[in-house]
Amino acid sequence: MAERATNTGAGELHALLAEFDDVDAVSGAARALRDAGYRRFEVYSPFPIHGIERSMGLSPTRLPWIALGAGLTGTSLALFFQWWTNAVDYPFKISGKPLFGIPANIPVTFEFTVLLASFGAFFGMLILNRLPEHHRPVFENPRFRRATDDGFFLAVEVDDPRFDPRATRALLEQHTRRPLEECRDSGQTRELPGSVRAALVSVAALGLLPLAGVVWARSQDSSRPPIHVVNDMDSQPRYRAQAANPVFSDGRAMRSDALGTQAFGELPRPGTITTGKQGDAWTESFPVPVTPAFLARGRERFAIYCTPCHGQSGYGDGLVALRAAELQEQNWVQPSSLHDPLVRARPVGQLFDTVVNGVRTMPAYGRQIPREDAWAVVAYVRALQRSQNAAQADVPPTERAKLGAQ
Amino acid sequence: MSAPHTESAPRQGDQVLGPRAGRWATPALAVGVLGLAAALGLGWQRGDGFSRLQHSWLVACAFFLTLSLGGLFFVIIQHLTRAGWSVVVRRVAELVAANTAVVALLFAPLVLGVLLSNDGLYPWADAERVHGNPLLSAKAAFLDPRFFAARCIVYFAVWWLLGRWLLARSTEQDRVSGPEPTLALERRSAPAMAAFALSLNFAGFDLIMSVNPTWYSTIFGVYIFGGSVMSFFAAAVLALRFLQSRGFLTREVSVEHYHDLGKFLFAFVFFWGYIAFSQFMLIWYADLPEETFWFKTRMEGPWAAVSWVLLFGHFVLPFLGLLSRHAKRRLALLTLWAVWLLAMHAVDLFWLVMPSAETSGVLVSPMDLASFAAVGGFWIFSLLRLARGRSLLPVGDPRLPQSLAFENF
Ligand code: HEC
Repeated sequence: MAERATNTGAGELHALLAEFDDVDAVSGAARALRDAGYRRFEVYSPFPIHGIERSMGLSPTRLPWIALGAGLTGTSLALFFQWWTNAVDYPFKISGKPLFGIPANIPVTFEFTVLLASFGAFFGMLILNRLPEHHRPVFENPRFRRATDDGFFLAVEVDDPRFDPRATRALLEQHTRRPLEECRDSGQTRELPGSVRAALVSVAALGLLPLAGVVWARSQDSSRPPIHVVNDMDSQPRYRAQAANPVFSDGRAMRSDALGTQAFGELPRPGTITTGKQGDAWTESFPVPVTPAFLARGRERFAIYCTPCHGQSGYGDGLVALRAAELQEQNWVQPSSLHDPLVRARPVGQLFDTVVNGVRTMPAYGRQIPREDAWAVVAYVRALQRSQNAAQADVPPTERAKLGAQ
Repeated sequence: MSAPHTESAPRQGDQVLGPRAGRWATPALAVGVLGLAAALGLGWQRGDGFSRLQHSWLVACAFFLTLSLGGLFFVIIQHLTRAGWSVVVRRVAELVAANTAVVALLFAPLVLGVLLSNDGLYPWADAERVHGNPLLSAKAAFLDPRFFAARCIVYFAVWWLLGRWLLARSTEQDRVSGPEPTLALERRSAPAMAAFALSLNFAGFDLIMSVNPTWYSTIFGVYIFGGSVMSFFAAAVLALRFLQSRGFLTREVSVEHYHDLGKFLFAFVFFWGYIAFSQFMLIWYADLPEETFWFKTRMEGPWAAVSWVLLFGHFVLPFLGLLSRHAKRRLALLTLWAVWLLAMHAVDLFWLVMPSAETSGVLVSPMDLASFAAVGGFWIFSLLRLARGRSLLPVGDPRLPQSLAFENF
C-alpha cells in the first residue's frame, strides 16, 4: 500500500515536510536546496550527521567568539572588582601582602572567566538557535515522530524568500519517493501555554521576595543584635574575663605570666620605672616627667584599656561592668571606683603595679601596655581623681568666671 | 574535508619501518656516543667531581623519561576509556611508552653515585651533611641511599613492565582475530593507571624534588605529570608528522586526529599552568621561609628571566596560540607549537634542577647540550629498534575502523 500524506492542521501553511530513506538522500536534498538559494529550512535526523552544516550551507558558527568575548569580560570584571574592593574602596592589609597582589586574585579571576565563558557558550547557543522554542507545526505531524527514531526529515519553511508552493514541492520530490506533508498552523500557538506562563511569573515573583526582604531590612533601624546565619566569631570556645577554670590550681581562667618568664621585647630594667618601688616602698612620685603630651597619651591609653570596666570617669561603671550587672553574673566582682578614698590614697607606684600586674580579680595589663604608657595611664588616673574631688579653688580663675556666669 | 575512506583495510606490511629504521638508528647512535664522550670530557674538565654534569644528565634523562611516561599515561587512558578515535596514533604512543629501559640504563650512574655517597647532585647522599642538618636528618629515613636505589629500581621496573606489556598485548592483537588482547588491555588498565600514578608521583619527589632536599611541595609530582603529558602530545605530533613525511600512516592519520592531539596539547598546556600556579600561589600566600626560598632563588638574578620565559613560553602564549580550533587543524602551525612546547618542557626541567648548580652568569653550559644529545641519541636509537619489526598501525584493533572514520564536529 502506498504511503499517504497525513497533512494536519487547517490554518496557514507553515512548512513543507519531506521524509527521506537515509542520510545520503537527506544530505542530497539539502545540497539541492542550498544550491537553489534556500535559507530557511531545517534537517531533522535521529543522530548528528557529519557535514550536514556544509550541505545546508550554514556559515560557521559565531559561538566561539561569543564565548571568548564573555570569557574576557569575566577576566576583566573579576580583576577590576578585586582591585576596586581590595585596593581602592576598602584597603585592608592582609598578612603583609600587597593590597592588590595578582597571585591572590588569580583563582577568582580564573573561576569568573570560566563561568562567564560557559554562560556565553550556553546562552549564546540558545540565542543563536532561537531556543527555547515551545512549539513548531511540524511536531503535529504523526509521521514526524520518527525523527527521533529512524526517520530523516527536511522542512522548508514558507517564509523562505525562495519558497514557491509548486517549485519547492517539485524540487523536493526529485529527492524522495515519499509523499510530502504540508504542515499548517493549527490552533496550537507557538507561545507558552497560560498555565506555564503563570507558573513562571509566580516563581520569578517569589524569587524577588528575599531581595525585597533585604531592601526592607536595610531601610530599618533595629536595636536587636543582627541575626547571624553563620556564627563565625560570635560564639567562640573561649573563657570570659574572671571566669573560673578548674584546670589550674588557682582556678583562674585568665593567666598571668608564668613565673620567671619575660615578655618578648621587654628587657629587665630593675628600678622604679619598671617596678613602681623605691626601695621596698611604693613610690609617691613619678619616675618620668609628666607633661601635657604625656597626660594626653595616658588619657588615650586609659580610654582603650581601662574604660571598658572602670568607665570614662572611673566610677567602675564601664560597659563590661554594666553588661555583667544586666546578666546578673554570679561571680562578677564590681570594678573598683577609682575615686574610692582607699584607691585615692594609694601611692602612684602601687597604681602602676595594679596596671602592670593586676590586682585580685583585675587582670594584668603589663602585656599590652608598655611601662612608659602605664605611667602615663597612672598620671591620667591621678588627674581623673583630682577632677572628681576638686575644690573651687582648684578651678583656674578664667574658668571660674565662666562658671559664675552660669 | 571528507572522512578518510575505509573500503580497503590497511595491510600490515605497508606500515612497518623495516630496514629504514636501521638507516635512521645508526646516526642516532652516533650522536649518542659523541654526546656522551663530549659530556664526560666537559664534565671532567670542569673539575667539580662531575657535580655540574650530574645536573645536566638528570635534566636530559628527565626530559626523555617524561616523554615516555606521558606516552604511558596516554596509552593506559585510551584503554581505560575504550577510546576509538585514537587507535591510529596509539602504536606510536605505545612505542614511546615502552622505551624506558634505555633511560633506566642511562640514569643508573646517578643512582650509583648516590650509593657511593657522592653528593654532587643529591645533597642528602652525604651522611655527614645530613647529620649536621636537622631538616635533613628528619628525612633521613626516606632519603636513604639504599632505599632510594631500591625505589628507583621499582619505578623503572613498573614503567618498563607496563610499557612492554601494553605494547606486547597490542601487537598480539595485530595477529589474532578475536578481541581477546584488547579486552585484556581494557581490564588491566585500571590497576595499571594506579601503578602509573603512584610511581610517577613518587619518582617526581625522588628524582627531581630531592635535588633540594629541604624544600617540599606536595603537588610536585602532579606538576611533573602535567609537563610529562604535555611533552608527550607535542612529541606525538612531531613523530606523526615525521612518519607521514616519509610515507607512513598517510591515509590513516588525518587532520581530525591531529586536531584531537592538539586539543590534548592545549589542555595540558593549561593543566601545567594551573598546577604550576597552584604550587606558586600556595607558597606565596603562606610565605613560610622554608618553602619560599625555592622560588626566591628562581625569581632573582639570571633565573628571574627563565621564570618569565616559562610563564609566557610554557603557558600564556601557547594557551592563546592553541585556543582556536583553526590553530589545531592547521598542521604547520600545530607542528610549530609542538616544537616550541618541547623546547619549553626542556626549559622547565632545567629550571627545576639547575638553580642548585648555577646561580649567576650564563646558566647553560655546552655540557647541557652534550648530555641532551647523548641521552636523546640513545633514546631515539632504542625507540627505532623497538619500532623496527612492528607495524606502526594497530591493524588488528577492533576499533580501527572507528578511528579511521573519526571526524570532529
Ligand atoms: C576587665 C575589667 C577591668 C579592666 C579593663 C581594668 N580593671 Fe581595674 N579593676 C577591675 C576590677 C574587677 C577591680 C576590683 C578588683 C577586686 O576588688 O578584686 C579593679 C580594680 C582596680 C583598681 C583598684 C585597685 C586597688 O588597689 O584596690 C585600680 C587602681 C584599677 N583597677 C585601675 C585600672 C586601670 C588603670 C586600668 C587600665 C589600665 C584598669 N584598672 C583596667 C577590673 C578592670
